[in-house]
Amino acid sequence: MSLLEVRDLRVNVDDKPILKGLDLTVEAGEVHAVMGPNGSGKSTLANVLAGRPGYDIDAGSITLDDEDLTAATPDERAHRGLFLAFQYPIEIPGVSNMEFLKAAVDAHAAHTGASEPSAVDFIKRARAAAEQLHLSADFLKRGVNEGFSGGEKKRNEILQMLLLEPRLAVLDETDSGLDIDALQVVAEGINAFRAEDNAIVLVTHYQRLLNYVVPDHVHVLIDGRIARSGDHTLAHTLEDEGYGWLDD
Amino acid sequence: MAGSTTEGSAPPTAAPRSALAQRLLDIEPSGRSSWLDPAACQAVIARGLPDTRGEPWKYTNVNRWYDVAFTRQEPAALDIDAPDDILVVDFDDPRTRPLAAAHGGKAFDLAKQPLAAVNGLLLGGGVAIVVPGDWRGEAPIRIADGGPSYQHILLIVESGASITLIEEASGFTHRIVETVVETGGRLRHLRRQRPAPTRECSLVAVHLDQDARYELAQSCRGAELRRNDVVVTLAGTGARVTVNGAWRLVGREHLDNQVAINHVAPQGFSRQTFRGVVADRARAVLNGRIHIAAGAKATDAALNTKNLLATDNAEVYAKPELEIFESDVQCSHGATVGTLDEEAVFFLRTRGLSDEAARALLVRGFLREAVADDEGAARLELVA
Ligand SMILES: Nc1ncnc2c1ncn2[C@@H]1O[C@H](COP(=O)(O)OP(=O)(O)OP(=O)(O)O)[C@@H](O)[C@H]1O
Ligand SMILES: [Mg+2]
Repeated sequence: MSLLEVRDLRVNVDDKPILKGLDLTVEAGEVHAVMGPNGSGKSTLANVLAGRPGYDIDAGSITLDDEDLTAATPDERAHRGLFLAFQYPIEIPGVSNMEFLKAAVDAHAAHTGASEPSAVDFIKRARAAAEQLHLSADFLKRGVNEGFSGGEKKRNEILQMLLLEPRLAVLDETDSGLDIDALQVVAEGINAFRAEDNAIVLVTHYQRLLNYVVPDHVHVLIDGRIARSGDHTLAHTLEDEGYGWLDD
Repeated sequence: MAGSTTEGSAPPTAAPRSALAQRLLDIEPSGRSSWLDPAACQAVIARGLPDTRGEPWKYTNVNRWYDVAFTRQEPAALDIDAPDDILVVDFDDPRTRPLAAAHGGKAFDLAKQPLAAVNGLLLGGGVAIVVPGDWRGEAPIRIADGGPSYQHILLIVESGASITLIEEASGFTHRIVETVVETGGRLRHLRRQRPAPTRECSLVAVHLDQDARYELAQSCRGAELRRNDVVVTLAGTGARVTVNGAWRLVGREHLDNQVAINHVAPQGFSRQTFRGVVADRARAVLNGRIHIAAGAKATDAALNTKNLLATDNAEVYAKPELEIFESDVQCSHGATVGTLDEEAVFFLRTRGLSDEAARALLVRGFLREAVADDEGAARLELVA
């Protein structure tokens, strides 16, 4: 049984076909990189996996741990272990990062029937995760992503991943806009998360993240389909040659 | 035009005494004395009570208030709790007289507040409170909900004194909170309005002397009809006022906040921040006026109001109104009405929150931007 199975996925946005029959199989313990030109459908795939409203699934299926997710709500998917790191993280003024993180962790606990962590335990965990990502404790008190720099927002997404411990993390360009140091910090966070019982789908434009987080598989998405798959060396080829050669 | 309406209520119309006014003037007084002169009140009423035609009552049907307002009132005590050393005297007490003579009427112009004139005639309970000069206790003054239908509180914060007033502001027909903050004094006013099946109006009128400060934090749930008139006059140089208002309305509730900030003296500072969430078929009205008189140089005034419509049937009428007669000023304003950010709802749901929980969290965050009274807002379930 695969962790994630995407079969012949066809998705329309505003009646326009964006994903045109996409297949993807991810096993537990694997890291998959999804690359491809702008507008090829990478974020659409990530959002459809997470259940974003407005994306009509025309055909195909998404299964996570053998459970069909196609009709599940975003929160149901989250409870089953799916996590999406947003390409453009959302700001929520007036809600502190800590309050938000606690609400998210509590919502997961409520679903599994586990008891909510005590406030003290949770603060300790959140502080430790923030420290791991080189975010000062201050960030936990501020409004969610409010006034955060681009890089801080991306690190905050990884912070959420570390606290929620998903089964499948889909990271949409979490490396974009990061300086070299921040990239390393984020990569360390991803590697710390990486384990035999979870999996990661990395959407990225750049080889440089893959130097730190070495993927088991690399896929090239072009015009709504996987045009080529390979091992980590495919990313190097793309870095050198671009996407043009795949058209042939 | 502008000059005649600086206090947020209808300019009296020059009509012959209306049937409405006559009905009111025929009511036997409660026997309680207001410091407001009955003859003056009668004159204001005789000149005409507001109706739905004028701008100040455009969105609130004042007739629905008249339906409950014109009944003979029984006197009753106001439930007020104040620290020792703070003078609390009934209007019937002779000690009120010099206080009223010295301070009464500074904070509002009776001619522009016809409902206050109704209050003056039908008063059921009135109290004067004096916070002595340089008083700096931690303990607040508390005014409870309920009590007589018509209430009037005259509060004097003497020079250099600093105090908090916690006012539960529901359960009456009309309440006046009339305040004078003397030089260098400071009043923090936490005003809390519970959800109630009532029709209530109130007037908060504040006069600020030099360097005086007034901070109003109003947390409102809705009522069948709830109207708050707030008038603050920065009469002394360097006076400062902040007004924060947060509301959440459901069902068919109706809330109308009319706030007028009058900058009369130089170097005044005012900030108004309002956030409201309006659901179902409820209606919220906010009129925020900034009046800057000629000579009020170096005034710094700002108003910001945002409302969220939680359903298509909810209504919001929010507008800033600027009347500026001085050029040496900084004045900014903004008003928006919108809906919850669906992108943010989706984001929270991907983190495991239900649709309902996500929306509730966003609403709380939104309202918090205007909440300056955490305890009150939490108790009223504006934010938890
Ligand atoms: N809400 C929408 N309405 C209309 N078109 C959309 C919408 N969302 C995506 N699209 C279109 O779908 C196509 C794929 O977009 P998507 O964001 O998935 O690309 P991407 O591969 O993530 O690109 P990038 O590398 O620039 O992030 C684009 O042509 C885009 O304009
Ligand atoms: Mg994208």
